[in-house]
Amino acid sequence: MITSKSYTIPFIVLAVLLLLLFMVNISLGSVSIAFNTIIDSFFTNSDSLNNHQYIIQNYRLPKAITAVLVGSGLGISGLLMQTLFRNPLAGPFVLGITSGASLGVALVILGSSIFGGFLATFLLTKWSLVIAASLGSFLVLLLVLIVSSKVRDTMAILIIGLMFGSITAAIVSVLSYFSSAEQLQQYIFWGFGSLGDLDWNEVTIFAIIYGIGILFSILSIKGLNTLLLGENYAKSLGLNIKQSRLLIIIATSLLAGTITAFAGPIAFIGLAIPHVTRQVFNTSNHKILLPAVFLFGAIIMLICDSIAQLPNTDYMLPINAITSLFGAPIVVWLLVRQRKMVF
Amino acid sequence: MLQNKAFLLLLLSFLLFLNCKEDPGIDRKLPALIQEDNSIAYAEGFSITNHSNFKVLTVNNPWPKAEKTYKYVLISKEDAAKTSFMKDEYDGIIITPVTSIVVTSTTHIPALELLNEENSLIGFPGSDYISSEKIRQRIDNGHVRELGKNEGLNTEVLLELNPNVVVGFGVDGTSKSLKTISNARIPVIYNGDWVEKTPLAKAEWIKFFGALYNKEKQADSVFKTIETNYKAAKQLAQTVTERPTVISGAMYKDVWYLPNGTSTEAQFLKDANVDYLYADTKSQGSLALSFEAVFEKAKHANLWLSPSYYSSMEALQTANTHYTQFDAFKNNAIYTFANTTGKTGGVLYYELGLSRPDLVLKDIIKICHPDLLPDYQTYFFKPLK
Repeated sequence: MITSKSYTIPFIVLAVLLLLLFMVNISLGSVSIAFNTIIDSFFTNSDSLNNHQYIIQNYRLPKAITAVLVGSGLGISGLLMQTLFRNPLAGPFVLGITSGASLGVALVILGSSIFGGFLATFLLTKWSLVIAASLGSFLVLLLVLIVSSKVRDTMAILIIGLMFGSITAAIVSVLSYFSSAEQLQQYIFWGFGSLGDLDWNEVTIFAIIYGIGILFSILSIKGLNTLLLGENYAKSLGLNIKQSRLLIIIATSLLAGTITAFAGPIAFIGLAIPHVTRQVFNTSNHKILLPAVFLFGAIIMLICDSIAQLPNTDYMLPINAITSLFGAPIVVWLLVRQRKMVF
Repeated sequence: MLQNKAFLLLLLSFLLFLNCKEDPGIDRKLPALIQEDNSIAYAEGFSITNHSNFKVLTVNNPWPKAEKTYKYVLISKEDAAKTSFMKDEYDGIIITPVTSIVVTSTTHIPALELLNEENSLIGFPGSDYISSEKIRQRIDNGHVRELGKNEGLNTEVLLELNPNVVVGFGVDGTSKSLKTISNARIPVIYNGDWVEKTPLAKAEWIKFFGALYNKEKQADSVFKTIETNYKAAKQLAQTVTERPTVISGAMYKDVWYLPNGTSTEAQFLKDANVDYLYADTKSQGSLALSFEAVFEKAKHANLWLSPSYYSSMEALQTANTHYTQFDAFKNNAIYTFANTTGKTGGVLYYELGLSRPDLVLKDIIKICHPDLLPDYQTYFFKPLK
């Protein structure tokens, strides 16, 4: 029986690394900014900022916080899904959450030409995409919940989630067909994901919903650990399967839904981070895994964002390109090195 | 049979050539049966060569990095009956003057109007984008059929219309629907006006349409006027000593897209004698820069031209609060063409800006050096409110 004591040191190392990388992420960008300016900008009143302080306080800091929320949130929801479906290929988006969000966004961006003026004016507000994405993923989730109360088998939910994905993809393609080039470009760019265009109000709301999601995922730890033994065995131990399943699904959808709403569909992180964590920590106990995934997710997202910013050049890359480009080979290497998967 | 005809054609040309030789009144640059038509001064994407009783319109860059050169024969009905061409040599044979035409981009519309040929237009994909009042009237009277979208033309309707010629444009090769149409013996010719590198070269494509309607002279004189106006405006702008700094474009998510230093937009700014902050950049397509880079460089820019599709200050502000930090925003020095639209919402600049670079340049000069053109009213660009 592994006690959580033996993991104290790696956790401390990871936490320090996270703090370090957070600072590194804030200090890197297109504009090179002196370190003391960075420190100053935390303590300067927002009315008397110079250019560099403004960049730090209103652009890089929200971006770094977003990276932490996105990385950790996706990692955790990926872990929850992998355990629930007992499938190493599951990720935060298997329930059709992203497809729902994409559909909402597609309806706003691409649908304005079809549904006319109302949606076009709706596009003017920054919140429109966030609201549309949240509504979309919420509706899909609601369907999944209704279905999951009817079906006994968890695998059926997985299939149903995939089916929802296909349906939304079909609707999006019809919408795309009738859209102008600019609208398509907007929609495609939303699909690249973006961490850096949130202001403080948005980050606050993001953080609140994210917090509730994290709370639900902590509540589901016991259920997760029991589910690892198999559903039938878990039942014989007196676990209320449906209730645990509900908790897990709500946690995932809150996390993955808000992240998709605010940052777009970020690829790969949700699927890979739990694997990386399991390889490093070599445990399947969620009491350990959950905080570890949190740290790993945040760390890797910060690294990806720092790379995507292409420090000291005027250019930048879409975050999704970096997450998969750098992330996938690392996971492959880890799995090959271990010769077997910890799952 | 064909060979015979070709031989006849050669013989005919040869005789003509002999004929030419005896006529000292013709100024010939090439001692061949072909007389290069050197009236194309700026455009690199097309050329027109005169032959004995027909013209050849060559389009050599219908889209960037096009590998194939397209050659079309322009010939009168009578001569077409008498002549036969090697079908494989040409991509289409067009009977001129064209009386019914389908064009596929709003940038093709002004040429029809400038050549007084708007009545020949019988179909257009996405006619809501057209702003020209004369053509809008024809649309409202049901003389112009709606053809769907450029990427997915309604082939059936187009086949039923059966125009003399379809002027298409390709982004990176032939579109399927245009292929079907040319297989149905409706000549499709590609217009590459948008590929040209300078404002005047783009405008010169009016001569391409001039050739279709046998109105070369009119097209020449229209272009001459535009060219003269453009050069005069450019000359006028060179007289100023103060060059305001200019920023352009806007952010999508956290990436700021601006025209690069070699783009047509940047050339307008250069010819208007203003200091475009990204004039030195050389890249393919738009510049995609991070917010902080632009913020540092352009926070104090005097003027901000065409902030993407945003139609009001409020829209800019709600889209991203960072915009409010720019001097141009604080001083209300933002100008856009996005609000100058036709009756059905088509942006006028996209339709007319390409054919009338003189107006675009004067607009920019009026905004950047107001004293130079005191009586001029801007045509496309209006202050963002």
